[in-house]
Amino acid sequence: MIAADALPNRRVEGWRWSDLSAALSGRDVPMIPGDRHVLARIAIGARRMAGIVVNAGETRTEVERVGDEGVDTRALEIDVRDGASMSLVTIQKDGDVALAHRKVRLGQGATFRQFIIADGARYARIETEIDVAGSGAKVELNGVYLVAKGRHADLTSQVILNADHGEVRQIVRGVARKGGRGVFQGRFKVERVAQKTDARMEHNALLLEDGAEVFAKPELEIYADDVQCAHGNTAGQLDDAAIFYLRQRGLPEIEARAMITRAFLIEALPDWVDEVVREEVETRIDTWLGTAS
Amino acid sequence: MLELNNLHARVVPEDGPAREILKGLSLSVPAGEVHAIMGPNGSGKSTLSYVLTGRDGYEVTEGSALYEGEDLLALAPEARAAKGLFLSFQYPLEIAGVPVMTFVRAAMNAQRKQRGEPEVSAPDFLKLSRIAAQQLRIDPEMLKRPLNVGFSGGEKKRLEIYQMLMLQPRFMILDETDSGLDIDALKVVADGVNALRGEGRSMLVITHYQRLLDYIKPDRVHILSAGRIVKSGGPELAHELEKSGYDTVMGAA
Repeated sequence: MIAADALPNRRVEGWRWSDLSAALSGRDVPMIPGDRHVLARIAIGARRMAGIVVNAGETRTEVERVGDEGVDTRALEIDVRDGASMSLVTIQKDGDVALAHRKVRLGQGATFRQFIIADGARYARIETEIDVAGSGAKVELNGVYLVAKGRHADLTSQVILNADHGEVRQIVRGVARKGGRGVFQGRFKVERVAQKTDARMEHNALLLEDGAEVFAKPELEIYADDVQCAHGNTAGQLDDAAIFYLRQRGLPEIEARAMITRAFLIEALPDWVDEVVREEVETRIDTWLGTAS
Repeated sequence: MLELNNLHARVVPEDGPAREILKGLSLSVPAGEVHAIMGPNGSGKSTLSYVLTGRDGYEVTEGSALYEGEDLLALAPEARAAKGLFLSFQYPLEIAGVPVMTFVRAAMNAQRKQRGEPEVSAPDFLKLSRIAAQQLRIDPEMLKRPLNVGFSGGEKKRLEIYQMLMLQPRFMILDETDSGLDIDALKVVADGVNALRGEGRSMLVITHYQRLLDYIKPDRVHILSAGRIVKSGGPELAHELEKSGYDTVMGAA
């Protein structure tokens, strides 16, 4: 058992906007020692650790739900072997403290696709670490966060490219209302051996009300010389001119705002997500926006 | 149908001082008539269209605007739309992620809801859309794409008129609808607009050039200058302007 004050606080790089020590203070946090990621150590301490192996040439799809009462913590280790493909949808909702960590290793020509939707919690952090070990691997890391008053959602990810011809796509879209906090931290590290990497990261947030908070830290770290890497990061408000256009056509202001916001978020929802889950995600967004029928 | 009396309005930018643009504009458009507003750049043409449709940041300081006897200025933009007011924008907005047909159907139903009418059925909507698209020679595939995103200037204008045909408004404001259109597209768009002419429907056609008025023939032409109507006349006034220019015609006023 380790005291909460041994956990990373806001003075630790990468935890500045998501102070784990403060979130868990006073809690009895079971945690194993060692050099794994702190979230994995908590998860293993709580016996919420799972391993997935996708054998060469196989395809697998999982839907994970995070947000049980109290401190919900879990860790995944995923090994996607040569030519295999893994798709993971993570749905985080409610809960007090929601912690998730996943570590993914990709073999040659392997594919890992992820979509996260997070409503946030008093404290929620979903962290993804990807090791691109085989050449020609494909990674897609999309996500949506929606934070209302009193909610915090942190989507942190790191992709380390250790092989050539990797392709990485990341689109994360978020919305925050007054008193809500969204955090995006994305890092692509392209090692010297990872020539011909093609990686794009995009994070866009809408601050729907005064007093909403979004913090973003996109990072590209490139050691190879023949690569294409790009990132875009924006945070802004709904476009008044667009809202007026919709209202002129007869949509009430609240619906006009919801329509634009919904479309903005849905752009991060990938086509590969199956229909049932897609519907759940869309309903969740509509409910959040207050327009569910 | 529309009665503007001594309208004064100012633009209030988020950063910077307010500027008075309309300075005592009076205008009467009876039901069933098409009136053109012509004027040099900066005369207040677009401001007038935004004041009438209720855009934020356009503030009426004096005068009145009555629409079918009702105070137009007291209504929210969406309520004005539901009562049949339609603005074809000079620069239509791009709305990412919202397909044209999804949007128009939502708009149509929002208007119907405000008027206490039932929603349009899917088959009825598709039928209306097919007819409107055919009339305007719009590729049906285009209607599945996000509204105006990546469309050319001409396509956007065509889409404005498509929305007009779908929503069947009763008072239409066309703000520089001819800009961005080549002559063939102009004819197609004008045919679409003319299809909506008739009893009980009126139009205000705002334009810089006389060209559009060859295809959408106005009953009356008004010249707007420095925020006021300085001269009104029949269709011949537009030709006079084209021939002699604003300075000469207004100098004679």
